Amino acid sequence: MNDLLVMAQIAGRRCALPAGDVKSVIELGAITPVPRSPDFIAGITALRSQALTVIDCRLALGFPVIEWATDHRAAVVHVGGHSYALMVDAIEDIATGRTHPENVPGGFGREWARVATGMVETAIGPALLIDMPALIAGPEPLGAAA
Amino acid sequence: MDDLLADFVAETREMLEASEGEIIAWEANPADGSRIDAIFRFVHTVKGNCGFFDFPRLAELSHAAEDALADVRAERREANATLVSAVLRVIDRIVELIDAIEASGACPAGSDTDLIAGLEEGNEDGQLLIGESNAMGLDTGSASPSALGSSTTASTPIQRTIRLPVDLLDRVMSGVSDMVLARNDLAHRLRQAGNQPTIDGPFERLTTILTDVRDAITRMRMQRIETLFSALPRLVRDLSTELGKQVLIDLEGGDVELDREMIETVRDPLTHIIRNAIDHGVERPRDRLNQGKRETALLSIAARQSGNTISIVVSDDGRGIDEEKIAAKAIATGLITEAEHKAMNRETILQLIFEPGFSTAEEVSNVSGRGVGLDVVRENLERVGGSIKVSSTVGVGTLFTLQIPLTLSIIAGLTVEVASQRFAIPQSYVEEIIHASAKSLDCTHIGETSLVTFRGQRVPCLVLAEVLDLPDGEIDEANRSMVMLRLASGDLFALAVDNIHSHGDIVVKPLAPAVMKSGLYAGSTLLDDGQPVLLLDVTNIAALHDLVSDARTRVLSDAVAEEERQEETLPRAMLFTDFEGRRRAFRLELVQRIETAPADAIDRTSASPRAVIDGNILPLIGLPEGPLPSEKVRLLRLTDGVSQLLHAVREVDDAVALIEPLKPVADDALVEAVTLIDGQTVSLIDGHEVFARYAEVPQPAARPLCLLPEGEWASTILAPLVSAAGYDAVPRGTREESEKGGSDGALSIWFEDEFEAALALDMDIAQPVLRLRDHPDAPEGSQTIYRYDREALMSALQAARTPATKGEAA
Repeated sequence: MNDLLVMAQIAGRRCALPAGDVKSVIELGAITPVPRSPDFIAGITALRSQALTVIDCRLALGFPVIEWATDHRAAVVHVGGHSYALMVDAIEDIATGRTHPENVPGGFGREWARVATGMVETAIGPALLIDMPALIAGPEPLGAAA
Repeated sequence: MDDLLADFVAETREMLEASEGEIIAWEANPADGSRIDAIFRFVHTVKGNCGFFDFPRLAELSHAAEDALADVRAERREANATLVSAVLRVIDRIVELIDAIEASGACPAGSDTDLIAGLEEGNEDGQLLIGESNAMGLDTGSASPSALGSSTTASTPIQRTIRLPVDLLDRVMSGVSDMVLARNDLAHRLRQAGNQPTIDGPFERLTTILTDVRDAITRMRMQRIETLFSALPRLVRDLSTELGKQVLIDLEGGDVELDREMIETVRDPLTHIIRNAIDHGVERPRDRLNQGKRETALLSIAARQSGNTISIVVSDDGRGIDEEKIAAKAIATGLITEAEHKAMNRETILQLIFEPGFSTAEEVSNVSGRGVGLDVVRENLERVGGSIKVSSTVGVGTLFTLQIPLTLSIIAGLTVEVASQRFAIPQSYVEEIIHASAKSLDCTHIGETSLVTFRGQRVPCLVLAEVLDLPDGEIDEANRSMVMLRLASGDLFALAVDNIHSHGDIVVKPLAPAVMKSGLYAGSTLLDDGQPVLLLDVTNIAALHDLVSDARTRVLSDAVAEEERQEETLPRAMLFTDFEGRRRAFRLELVQRIETAPADAIDRTSASPRAVIDGNILPLIGLPEGPLPSEKVRLLRLTDGVSQLLHAVREVDDAVALIEPLKPVADDALVEAVTLIDGQTVSLIDGHEVFARYAEVPQPAARPLCLLPEGEWASTILAPLVSAAGYDAVPRGTREESEKGGSDGALSIWFEDEFEAALALDMDIAQPVLRLRDHPDAPEGSQTIYRYDREALMSALQAARTPATKGEAA
């Protein structure tokens, strides 16, 4: 496994985004909020002539709303014909995945299990490989699992 | 017609390329039925497209191949190597013909009976026949290349077109949009850096070029649906002649703009539907007469943009669709079971015609197919997110409704603001914009619902801030603006917003699914400054609040509309309160628009005040004595079609019908009559008198004219100075002068010696005049200015402007 990965911090954890999915990393400009949309959608922002949907990754994972510093940069990903900007705690580096994504005994925890492809080893340490479509879909509505 | 032909050639080639693989696979294994569909569609489309042109050879060939393939599809015939090679030979011939058509624009003469015979079933000794036809084919084959060769060299090249992948266009388009944003950024920085003549010039040029390019690029993708419509009359004419029917085509909404790709997607479905309508829907003239219909059937095709979709409605007044026939056929072909049929209503049954493999035509004709049309139609439309529906009444007609999404379309939009955030509304919904302070609106709350009164009708009112769950702004209820929105169903409702901004063309871009799910937005767009805004989905918002009526209430509202229409026959007037508190009215026809002008747009320095509206200087009446009561003044812009006039008002009330009799007034020439409106007297202003006294043909606020003396010095040294002083500098006695309205009221500059000569010659010298002398020292009592005395010149030019307007006013 020698895939390039964009390393980022989400909700205080190190995560890896497949570099193939990440089209660019941009400076987040003004975000136009979208009233009455799910919480994890922070709004829309303009990337040149394109409109991006800004996803607050922490809320998309289902973590509660608390003050937490986010990077002024965002990763732009393209999923299902639409472009999204991912708001993360920090964008760290680009690294090469050294192993295939693996499960760890005990799982990754309730919020993470939905979006995790598995754990990968990189030069800067282990990270959780994120499944983009699952992340973009946002947290499942309460009671939907039942 | 050339374009059409080129399209036909290109499309046929493209389809052939796409189905080439299938053909080869089929050749390898004739028993593989799944390969046939693509080939079948190819010959079917060629056959269909021939309907546009007079290519009997192509039509015959493709029809024969289609017949043979249809038999195979229906399992009436087995595919074997003989058939395969016969079909392939037909396809080869079609390609040859297409080549010839492209080169010469006409179909070469010749016979294809050999190939067509080869397709016929029962030629079990086909081998021999094919062998023969092969020889004959070769014969023609060897003859045609030489014929082709000569015609290719002889023919003039047809207009060259290329086909581009839409991706590439998209990339160019977004590249240009980015360039515009980069330019805006640069403009901003340049402004901060101050005036830099060396940079400003090229920058201006860049801006102009960029605007041009952007227009061109936008046009590259957008096309009026007209381009699609233009081919239809011919198609309808040819089809109806061929079938012995009389059909009149009525096209509407050709100016609706659609993504070029969408137009291509719609082209085939629309052709199919029209063909079906004429073939199956429209009766023969004699049958029509027997049924008491007109001999000539009406086929109407209307394109309409409603919100985030474009709908194309194709309706005919033919025999309609027989539900029982459809059901019986569907049961016979195994599409549905008897039990399912019982559970279905008429509408559901009608939609069965879009199912694959369905057809009701008892006879197979050259014109519309065997059901390959409608299932492909639906498939094509659904692929781009559209839909198709049919409704029909037996004996009355059939109506197909195609819905196409509006993604990437350009629509006219209105920008509104609520809670400091902007949103866009498609202009097509907007009926009127009303300031909530207008008394006539009469906001009331019935339970939790707000109602406003609009033209005597109680209309539900939604507050956008509440719809979107935004905090109520600082704007209180009385200062809101109401946007009256009319839905496609005819329902009207008011949307209260804090502010109305600009309107203009917006490019609608799709939103991510998670955002669409809220049901409030139809897309997003970028404002000029690059800020994204959301486009409201008006229909859905209304539906979410139960404001869309069903058919029953629509009838009621029709009755209301009928009443309104009766009221409309009465003269109507625009009621207002002037600054002296009097209630007065203008006949509504005179009122062009209601303007709001800032106080500084009003010039009260002269005896007759003026205001600048949209770059025009217009005379203004009705101002109060003394200072203006507010920073902004409401103005009624009146026009008689040519000249215009502004009337300042304290408050605009409403447009009312003049129900009560008009009582003429003798003592005041400015008042036509007095009448009662809601029990109060209102004087109706005499339009004739007011226009006679005050109105003017609007003058562009542009520059007063200044006539320059002839000569190099005047045009190179004096003219820039005069222009800088705010004049339009024109050499005297030129054509340009008379074009710009001649010397009336224009300032003219003379050299002293010329002026004296002119005086001596008793020439007609238009006033005012500015005289220049060559020497710095003036003779005693001279009214001249030294020609290099910049200060004196400028102040004279400035001074000449003010009296000029006064002079005009007097």
